[in-house]
Amino acid sequence: MNLAEGVQTISFALLALMMIGAALGVVLLDNIVYSAFLLGGVFISISGLYLLLNADFVSAAQILIYVGAVNVLILFAIMLVNKREDFSPVPRRWIRKGGAALVSVGLFALLGTMVVQTPWVIPANLPATTSTLIILGEHFFSDYLLPFELASVLLLMALVGAVVLARREYVLDDEASVGEMPQLPLQLPERPKEPVALSGTSAPSR
Amino acid sequence: MDFANLASQLNAGAILPEGIVIITLLVVLIADLIVGRAADRWTPYVAIAGLLAAVGALYLGWNRLETVSFLGSFNSDNLSLVFRGIIALATVVTILMSIRYVEQTGSDLGEYLTILLSATLGAMFLSGSEELVMIFISLETLSIASYLMTGYMKRDLRSNEAALKYLLIGAASSAIFLYGSSLLYGLSGGSTSLAGIAAGIANSSQSLGVLISLVFVIAGISFKISAVPFHQWTPDVYEGAPTPVVAFLSVASKAAGFALAVRFMTIAFPSVSDQWQFIFTALAILSMILGNVVAIAQTSMKRMLAYSSIGQAGFVMIGFVIGTESGYASMLFYLLIYLFMNLGAFTCIILFSLRTGTDQISDYAGLYQKDPLLTLALSICLLSLGGIPPLAGFFGKLYLFWAGWQAGAYGLVILGLLTSVVSIYYYIRVVKMMVVKEPQEMSETIKNYPALSWKPFGMRPLQVGLILTLITTSLAGILSNPLFNLVNASVADVPLFEAAVPIRPAAPVSLQVPATPLSAVVPQSAPQAQTLNVNLRS
Repeated sequence: MNLAEGVQTISFALLALMMIGAALGVVLLDNIVYSAFLLGGVFISISGLYLLLNADFVSAAQILIYVGAVNVLILFAIMLVNKREDFSPVPRRWIRKGGAALVSVGLFALLGTMVVQTPWVIPANLPATTSTLIILGEHFFSDYLLPFELASVLLLMALVGAVVLARREYVLDDEASVGEMPQLPLQLPERPKEPVALSGTSAPSR
Repeated sequence: MDFANLASQLNAGAILPEGIVIITLLVVLIADLIVGRAADRWTPYVAIAGLLAAVGALYLGWNRLETVSFLGSFNSDNLSLVFRGIIALATVVTILMSIRYVEQTGSDLGEYLTILLSATLGAMFLSGSEELVMIFISLETLSIASYLMTGYMKRDLRSNEAALKYLLIGAASSAIFLYGSSLLYGLSGGSTSLAGIAAGIANSSQSLGVLISLVFVIAGISFKISAVPFHQWTPDVYEGAPTPVVAFLSVASKAAGFALAVRFMTIAFPSVSDQWQFIFTALAILSMILGNVVAIAQTSMKRMLAYSSIGQAGFVMIGFVIGTESGYASMLFYLLIYLFMNLGAFTCIILFSLRTGTDQISDYAGLYQKDPLLTLALSICLLSLGGIPPLAGFFGKLYLFWAGWQAGAYGLVILGLLTSVVSIYYYIRVVKMMVVKEPQEMSETIKNYPALSWKPFGMRPLQVGLILTLITTSLAGILSNPLFNLVNASVADVPLFEAAVPIRPAAPVSLQVPATPLSAVVPQSAPQAQTLNVNLRS
């Protein structure tokens, strides 16, 4: 074992330990904020694994998207729903926990056996890649062109859907009321949606 | 490299119908953005025209010489054409029935149409994808659009609940499907095309990895077609979601799931055909029994149709598991007929709930006295779903069971017959409720039934949809010869898994596949084709 392989093995072991520890913490801890932060740890360890696999762009994207966007969004959601509520303990909770643990261990055993048993096809001489970005780009504009373009429609639709779900149409006052007590934003009366086409009058747009 | 060259090299004409759907989607979205709510008067018709144009483009694409397009991502063979046609037609009928519904619930029609059209787009692409990345992206387009439409009635708590349940279970099933796909990628030595996977796993066909990936992929697909162990989302989502969305999910989404199942299983898993046949047989048996038995106990019409659609998926799976040519043809034929009869039933339910605001089965009592047309249409559609002789559904089931009997699947066919009898019971129950009741036994809802009027906005399309599905359901069985010819011609090039294991010439570098025939057709593009390939291989 030369130096490079040794470094690789040790960093793999460290990353794996980090990831498994953080993942267990996500599942087992009671405080949801700790779980959310530990989830960020899981994502970062995964991006480290990607680096070990020579996938530098994927690793950067993993940090940007999962840690930077998804995890922050989860934290925001937790902090916005800042509601302390003590849940009454479910009777016989250990049965459910035991069942979940049993299923997880069984699944792990099955998948582990599979990974060990399967003769994986490993290409013998992989060419050394200097920049994965160029290869990714080539794939995006050749054999993965159609999924790449379809993803744009998917994103457009998701955007429209998100706007539809999140939109609230408030009644706005005509004149600005200076000096009055401002209403709480969540108690603004929502404008009733009048079906324009039903009433027959072609009212102007929203 | 100019655009025409590039397009012909990619064989971009194969996705012309999808291109039309995308343009329609953009037109609807932009018109809604610019004109505002006044555009609601005509955007549905733009969408319908676009979808019909897409169906026309599908017709023009029949018997293409070169079906593989986009370097193996998409295959526009005749089988996919029929599936895409089913999906586009289902969306047309869905739009007809949803205009009034969406207006009456006070939601936005433009955004609804946009999301519905993108769901259609995902389903259409799913029917022809032959490559894992493409399959996953189109599957997600369909799924995410379905979640959004399920939760479209924002102020309805049941709609919110249904959307959340659908999202969580759907995300889990997508993850399972993705895990199975990634295993396949690894097992085949880094190939994402289905044919390449089949070649890659041909030697290690009995290994544990292949079996686990098979099970995971089937789990993902079964969620889409709501086969029984993966059906738990169906009743809740069907009850809570807006009714036109339920109609879309029960026909178009299911058809896309079956298209994916046929393509994935026959192309990628010919070496383990016994195993997947066994799994799908089990799913079919469970679906037929549970779907049809539980449907008896339902009191809500939508829930009853939810369980009945699970049972119907079980019948369709008979045609799929026997794996003969007539099996596939009967499956397609049944899906085509199921489109009209199921959407017809949903149109009737929507009409009834728009007029009365309920969908309890007991509220239908005595409807015949007040609304003969609705009673006739609903009775015909339900009887056809049950398989009563002169109607279309009878011929569909007859063909399915005949194909199963020919292939020697006696147990499945007998079980199908028995559960059909059970299903006739609960369909007839509704018909009896509507027709036989004396005037004094009428439900309160029917006593207050509003006067019939087709004048208000959006009622006319509903009426058109009702009449259209009614006529098709009544006549498609008797005049079914064109449909038979269509489905028989379309399954001619499905790879049958009794054939030898390498279905297609296995291409280690799948990028090369379309290059040779294309350069023969378009000589001047040959140098570009070669440079493209060289670049990709480097």
